[in-house]
Amino acid sequence: MIPSPATTLEVAIEHKVGPNLSLSVEFQLGREIGVLFGQSGAGKSTLLRLIAGLTRPDSGRIVLDGEVLYDSRARHDAPLWRRGIGMIYQDDLLFPHLSVRENIAFGLAGWSRPGAADRVREVAGLCGVERLLDRRPAMLSGGERQRVGLARAVAPGPRLLLCDEPFSALDLGRRSVLITRLIDLHRSQGIPILHVTHSPSEAVALGGTMLMLDQGRITAVGPPIELLAGQRRPSIPWTPLANVFHAVLEGPLADEGGSLLVLEGGLKLVVPGLDKPAGSAVLVQVRADDILLARGAIPGLSARNQLAGIVERVLSHDHEVEVVVRAGGLAFLVSLVAAAARQLEITAGADVVLIIKARSCRVLEEDESTPAPT
Amino acid sequence: MGDLGPFWLSIKVASVATLLDVALGAPLALLLARGRFPGRSLLAGALTLPLVMPPTVLGYVLLILLGRRSLVGGGLEQVFGVSLVFHWSGGALAAGVAAFPLFLIPARSAFEDVDPMLEDAARLLGRRELSVFLRVTLPLARRGLLAGVVLVFARALGDFGATLMVAGDIPGRTQTASLAIYDAVQVGDNARAGGLSLLISVVSIVALMVAQRGDRSPRTAA
Repeated sequence: MIPSPATTLEVAIEHKVGPNLSLSVEFQLGREIGVLFGQSGAGKSTLLRLIAGLTRPDSGRIVLDGEVLYDSRARHDAPLWRRGIGMIYQDDLLFPHLSVRENIAFGLAGWSRPGAADRVREVAGLCGVERLLDRRPAMLSGGERQRVGLARAVAPGPRLLLCDEPFSALDLGRRSVLITRLIDLHRSQGIPILHVTHSPSEAVALGGTMLMLDQGRITAVGPPIELLAGQRRPSIPWTPLANVFHAVLEGPLADEGGSLLVLEGGLKLVVPGLDKPAGSAVLVQVRADDILLARGAIPGLSARNQLAGIVERVLSHDHEVEVVVRAGGLAFLVSLVAAAARQLEITAGADVVLIIKARSCRVLEEDESTPAPT
Repeated sequence: MGDLGPFWLSIKVASVATLLDVALGAPLALLLARGRFPGRSLLAGALTLPLVMPPTVLGYVLLILLGRRSLVGGGLEQVFGVSLVFHWSGGALAAGVAAFPLFLIPARSAFEDVDPMLEDAARLLGRRELSVFLRVTLPLARRGLLAGVVLVFARALGDFGATLMVAGDIPGRTQTASLAIYDAVQVGDNARAGGLSLLISVVSIVALMVAQRGDRSPRTAA
C-alpha cells in the first residue's frame, strides 16, 4: 500500500464480526476525504465503529495524528472522550431533550461561554442550521437533522470526522446538498474525513480516496471514479449526485425568463428564472446525461449554455462512457453512449464544448422548511 | 378532625422512604439495565420480592433483622445508639422496603429505554461517564424515574402492615395516618377517619398531578 504523503490515520486491525465475516484491514489515510465503499455486509460500519472506539478490535493498532488510540500488544485503548473523533450517524443520534444550540454546544464543555457561543454560531453557519438553533430535534426534517449532527460533530474541532452512511435515508436532492456541505467543511476546516457509503454516486461526488471493502478486506484503493469504472453494473447508476456547484445569482436576464448564475470558477450559466434577490448564493446541479458534448462552438443552437473545456479523463464501460471535462476550474461529469464518444474522438486532452440547456440546470433547495443558505 | 400529627408523620415517613428508595434504587436500576454479570436476573428477582410478599411478613422479617438482639439491630444500637424498632425511622424503612420494587421496576425500564448509542455519542463528544449520566442518561430516563417516585411515595404513604410490625402503633410517636384511620374506625370516630382519609387522598392525587405536569414539559436544565 502506498502511504499518503501526510498520513493522519493508520489502521491495522483484525476483528471477527460474525461467523461469516472477519475484518482484516490495513490502510493509511492522509488529510483527504476517504470513502469506505462496499456492499452491505462488507463490514464498513463495523470498521468505522472500531476506529471510533465504539467497539474494541480483537487485535491491531490504530494511530491518529501520531497518537496511539489502540494497540492490542501494548494493551492500550484510549477512552472515547479523549479520542478527538467526530462522528455522524445514519440515525442522526441527536440528543432529543436538547435544543439544536445545546446539541451543537455539547462537545464544547471545556470552552468559555462566549467562545462556545461564537463557535456554535460559526459551525451553524457552515452547516446551514443557523435558523434552527432554538428548535428541538423532533421539529426538524431529515436533512436538517443530519446537518445539525454534522455541526455537532465538527464544533469541537475533531482530528477526524467519521461518517457512517449519514445520508442514506435522504432523497437525491438533499444528499447532493449535504455532500456539498461536507466537501466545503473539509476544505474550510481541514478535517480529514472517513465516509462510509454503499452508494456509488455518493462516492463519486465526494471524490478523494476510495477504499473498497469486500468480505472484510480492502480490495482496492484509488479515486472513486476510476475504481468504480471497472465494476459498473447497468442497474447501479453512479452519476446522479455529480455536478453540484456553488454559484451566485447575478440577476434575471433582461430579454427572457431565465436567470444568470456565476459559478465558483467564474463560468456563467443560464438557468430557469429564480425568485431570489441578486447576490444570493445557490447550489446548482446538472445531470451528467443532460450534458451534450461538441468538438467546437455551435452557432444558432437553442441550448442557452455553451462552455469550453478540456477532457481530463475518459472512463469506458460496455455501452457508455463517462467523461470528466474541466471547464473554468470545475470538473463536469458527462455520460455519453460509447459510439458517440468514438465518433467525436473524445480522448484525454481534447478540446470540447459542453452544451447545457437552461432547463437541465436544477437549483437545489436545502430543505422544505428552510430556503437555501444566503 | 383534631390532631394532625399522624398525617404529618405519614408525610415524613413516606418522604424518607422515597429518598431511601431513590438513593438505593437508582444505582441498582442502572446496574440491572446496563450491567452484564452473572446472577443479574437472580438479583432482579430478589429485589422485586417485596412486591409479592405480604407486608406483614416483610415487617416481621425486618423486625427480626433489626431487633436489639440481632446482628444488624444490635450493631446499629452499639455504634449509633439508635434503635429503629418502635421508632418512626423503622417505619420509614419498612415502608421503603415494601415500596422498593415500585421504584426499581419503572426506573430500570427507563434506563433500558435510553439508547446506549446516544451515550456513546456523548462520550465521543468528549464527555466523561458522570457527565454522560447527568446530561444524557438521567434527563432521558426522567419520565420513568418520576413515575417511580410518585408510585413509591403513594405506596409508602398508605403503608399499614409493614410499618405496624416494625414501628408499632404508638400514638404521638409512630402512629401514621393509616394506623390512625384504622384506630378511629375501631372506636367509631368516623369524622376523624374520614378527615384523615380525605387528606391522604388529596396528597396522593396532587403528587400524581405534579408528576404528570413534569412529564409534559420536555425541557430539562441544560
